[in-house]
Amino acid sequence: MEPDSTRPVLCTHCNGENLVGKRAMSVFCRHCRKRLILEDYRINTYHSVRLFATCGDIYVDRTGQVISPIRVRNLTVQGKVKGDVEARGRVEVTGTGELRGDITAPLIRVEEGGRIEGFCRIGALPDNWLRAAFPVK
Amino acid sequence: MAEPQTPARGDFPTIIGPDAAFKGELKFEKGVRLLGRLEGLVESPGQLEIAEGATLEGDVKAGNIRVDGSVKGNLRASGKIQLSASAKLEGDLTTARLEVAEGAVFIGKCVVGSDAAAKGGPAPRMDDAAKHAPQPVKK
Ligand SMILES: [Zn+2]
Repeated sequence: MEPDSTRPVLCTHCNGENLVGKRAMSVFCRHCRKRLILEDYRINTYHSVRLFATCGDIYVDRTGQVISPIRVRNLTVQGKVKGDVEARGRVEVTGTGELRGDITAPLIRVEEGGRIEGFCRIGALPDNWLRAAFPVK
Repeated sequence: MAEPQTPARGDFPTIIGPDAAFKGELKFEKGVRLLGRLEGLVESPGQLEIAEGATLEGDVKAGNIRVDGSVKGNLRASGKIQLSASAKLEGDLTTARLEVAEGAVFIGKCVVGSDAAAKGGPAPRMDDAAKHAPQPVKK
């Protein structure tokens, strides 16, 4: 395969790096052998699964409802999501969106009117960042 | 003769300087800008700004809160909470609006929504229904 026809993705199960073809829709992780979904999803109806995981992006439209834990690159919520979210990129909740669940992501954006409720871990968390600001007495 | 006011002074009649370390309970009518170190409770219907390099350990109830520095405590705003790129926050956050810049670090429980700051109650529950598997985007 030519180098420019591949891209690196991180496994949604084990975090291992895999080089995948630009147009591949799924691949087996070379580290944990589990199947990786690479596609983007647009959800405009009701969806409930045990785990909704993709190396691509998920858009939940205004009419969409997802009741499931989510592992994703970027997540956009215009409708409703109930479940814990782990994103490698950005979580975005628009003015019509509602996200209930714990959120782990480097970046979050909540538009005016958007609602979130849950425990958040946002940003890169370097070791001891808190202790540096608040030293133990 | 009236002295011309810089916007910062107009917005923040009270400034806690970089050399100041304050412990206790603070109540303000208008804006507060924290440049130093504060330990305790802050209450203001106006804006609280925690500048870069400043630290606040304690709970805050304010109209709007902007964090450029470090906070350990719970923040509650009736309007907006802004976390800038240099912000570090450990604590719970309740606000009508949240703005988080890239680079900001935040860990804690988070309730955002127009009714969150007023009531703090849980959002209405979503419907339960049958299970369906998601379908990928058709290309
Ligand atoms: Zn894997």
